[in-house]
Amino acid sequence: MGRILCISLITLFVKYISVSGQDLESFLEDQLDRSTEYTSATFKSTRILNGHSNELTKEGQLDFRISHRFGTINSGAYEFFGLDQAHIHLSLEYGIKDWIMIGVGRGTFEKTIDGFTKIRLLRQSKGIKHMPVSVSFMSGVYVNGLRWSEPERENPFRHRLDFAHQFMLARKFSPGFSLQLTPSYLHRNFVESSQDPNDIFALGAGTRVKLSKRISLNAEYFYLFKPDNSSLSKEMYHPLSLGMDIETGGHVFQIIITNSVGMRENAFLGHTTGRWLDGDIHFGFNISRMFQLKRQGI
Amino acid sequence: MASCMRKNFIYLLVMVLANACSWEDNETFYRDAENCDTLDVSYSTDIVPVLTNNCYACHSNANAPDFGSGIALENYEDVFASSTLIVKTINHSEGVSAMPKGSEKLDDCTISTFEAWVEEGALEN
Repeated sequence: MGRILCISLITLFVKYISVSGQDLESFLEDQLDRSTEYTSATFKSTRILNGHSNELTKEGQLDFRISHRFGTINSGAYEFFGLDQAHIHLSLEYGIKDWIMIGVGRGTFEKTIDGFTKIRLLRQSKGIKHMPVSVSFMSGVYVNGLRWSEPERENPFRHRLDFAHQFMLARKFSPGFSLQLTPSYLHRNFVESSQDPNDIFALGAGTRVKLSKRISLNAEYFYLFKPDNSSLSKEMYHPLSLGMDIETGGHVFQIIITNSVGMRENAFLGHTTGRWLDGDIHFGFNISRMFQLKRQGI
Repeated sequence: MASCMRKNFIYLLVMVLANACSWEDNETFYRDAENCDTLDVSYSTDIVPVLTNNCYACHSNANAPDFGSGIALENYEDVFASSTLIVKTINHSEGVSAMPKGSEKLDDCTISTFEAWVEEGALEN
């Protein structure tokens, strides 16, 4: 009798546990539906390769970035396939808040000093707030630091300035695949010829395909809406870059091949003179090192 | 030190904002009076294109009564009659409305060309 009673109690208990488990599962699903889950790490870095990604440095984080682009691979063995010629860009970028960051930098290309602000407008999310894409906006100014070629004539400071504005519309389709569209506007105060456009509109597309926890393949292309090359003082081509993200703790290392030697928007949108089909390909890399300057809230 | 840095920063900011946007190019900007050919200026080939590109939005025969204070510049006789005034307005001289209205001042070469044409008698050549 006691044995029967014991078995009955165990059966009831197991049934209760099973029912509770189902309830818990449905309860959690229900809660998830009622809360908002934001997508993170659409891209690993604040840059896809050359251009900005939708990502921002977090509040209190300082990102020290070092970028290199070498000469063209088709320059031959004498130039060690471009490695003898290096362009460098250094920058410091800081997250004021999670939704706004600023950055300043200096590059060897036209000895340019640059500054930018990037803000997050929308975050991809599911749950109560459903948002299919993340949207960020970047606005930058670029100051050409070259000495005037003819210092004795009138050389207004405004002739040194370029401006760029970009929206970054990104979606993380799965943990391993992200895509971004980047409508861009570049304004150059001073160009060489009256045939050269002061304003250049471009549509960029970038993607990240994750290969492992620490490695991903990236690609980035900007289509420039510009006049035909025959009417320009200098040929301009659409920048195409391929690369790989390698994450190692506090560093993100990006290896890049690109037809653009410039590492900032005014340079790669306005001064890409190389063609992939002619072998005008630059090898390069970006290194990003994060420093936590502000203690994160507990 | 901090005060100096702040001053420099403010100076840079003011410079950037004050000089913010322009639409200029090397060829046009430095085509100054020294390199400018002002010999044998022709009304039809040198002056009319300048008027067409910069003035007729307000000073064509059709628009002049509404937008151009009644000053039409489409016919040679009208341009001849207003030539001295035009020189003053495109030089942004005091006492006259600076022209072209709402646009940047014409480049030095264009102004010199116009002045040379007037000095030569504003001929219909």
